Amino acid sequence: MMDRNTIKDTGILEQYLLGELSEDQRTQVEDLLREDADLRDYLGKIEDDFEKIAFENAITPPAHIKSNVLNHITDTDEEVIIIPRPQKNQLVTYLAIAAGLAMVFMVSGLWLYTQWQDAKETLEVVQNQTNDLRDRIVSLENNLNETSKWYTAINNPNTVKLILKGNQISPTSSAITYVNHSEKTVILNPQGLTKLTDAETYQMWADVDGEMIDMGVIPSDQNMIVMKYIDNAESINITIEPKGGNDHPTVERLISNVLL
Amino acid sequence: MQDNLELIQRLQQKDSKALSEIYDHYSGALYGVILRICKNEAMAQDLLQETFVKIWEKSNQYDPKKGKFFTWSYRIAKNQTLNSLRNPNKLIQNEDLSVYINKTDEEPKIDIQELDGSLKQLEPHHQKALELVYFNGLTHREAHEEMNVPLGTFKSYVKQALKKLREVYQKELLILWVLTEMVI
Repeated sequence: MMDRNTIKDTGILEQYLLGELSEDQRTQVEDLLREDADLRDYLGKIEDDFEKIAFENAITPPAHIKSNVLNHITDTDEEVIIIPRPQKNQLVTYLAIAAGLAMVFMVSGLWLYTQWQDAKETLEVVQNQTNDLRDRIVSLENNLNETSKWYTAINNPNTVKLILKGNQISPTSSAITYVNHSEKTVILNPQGLTKLTDAETYQMWADVDGEMIDMGVIPSDQNMIVMKYIDNAESINITIEPKGGNDHPTVERLISNVLL
Repeated sequence: MQDNLELIQRLQQKDSKALSEIYDHYSGALYGVILRICKNEAMAQDLLQETFVKIWEKSNQYDPKKGKFFTWSYRIAKNQTLNSLRNPNKLIQNEDLSVYINKTDEEPKIDIQELDGSLKQLEPHHQKALELVYFNGLTHREAHEEMNVPLGTFKSYVKQALKKLREVYQKELLILWVLTEMVI
């Protein structure tokens, strides 16, 4: 270790000043100088002495050296300025990448949007088809139920099938009735009857002890109709009546009758 | 002589005008040192240029707490010169080596052997001691061998020389002060 006096005596500060010390010694001297103001003053004096000698023995260098130095450092400065340029380029590169990515996102976004819209349309079509199919199933079910109902009624062993043939007033007409006495039902298929004008309609009657009793007006637009069952009827008759039906049959316009 | 810390700060902030001012102030003193160590003008000029480039590049490493700016610059100049003397091929690539060797033997146009100023008023062995370590770039160890005296003696030569110098300066200052007083 070095103390202040050793340092002054050994001339180590002079060597420090002249740059002769090793790294290790230099650090030690610098540590001591930091703590010791007196030693700092002493070094300051030696420094002043040496500086004075140097200035007294100065030799003016040729003028071009100064311009060389200044040119050199401005050249270096220019090189230093060049350094940000790659950074700028880098920025441009990053911006280009960012723009590219934005483009990709935009295009893919657009593509996804159209795909989504297509899917939505397809879904709507499928939904409509499903609704149609459901409606058709419902109507088919209804048809089936109705048909089964008619079928059950007609196929009953107690049911009697009677054909009502048209007379000279309506020779081409014919209708089919299904009568079930045990269940007291009458079903009519009026499809074979000749078409009437809009002001007229067919009406069905039952003959009970010479009296005609209304069984109902026959609508023109149905395949099968349930008519009223009348007890103790002897025959079934069909007449042409004004639209909406009549309380009493117009016997002159009777077109068909069948005995039970 | 106080250091102009504001100027040095500007240098550290890479103000080229500050370097220009610093060059004007210190180049002569540093050139004197470099030329006396290498004894070759062309080489000394290159070295002076390199020294100032280094001062510019390394200015941030200068710490005013560790010493004066000139001491720091002096060390750079001295190290540059001693290094290039050790590896002469690195420097002066444009010159023929034989020419360079011949040149070292020649006496430079400026008489660099002759030292000026207060040094002249010192006793010859004190003068020689300072010259060897300061202007010839020798270490204390090399210099004491050169002077053929023990290292301890050589060290005290340096110390005494500096002490004498200080006395000379103080005498000069006193005369200057008396003169200025008289003029006023």
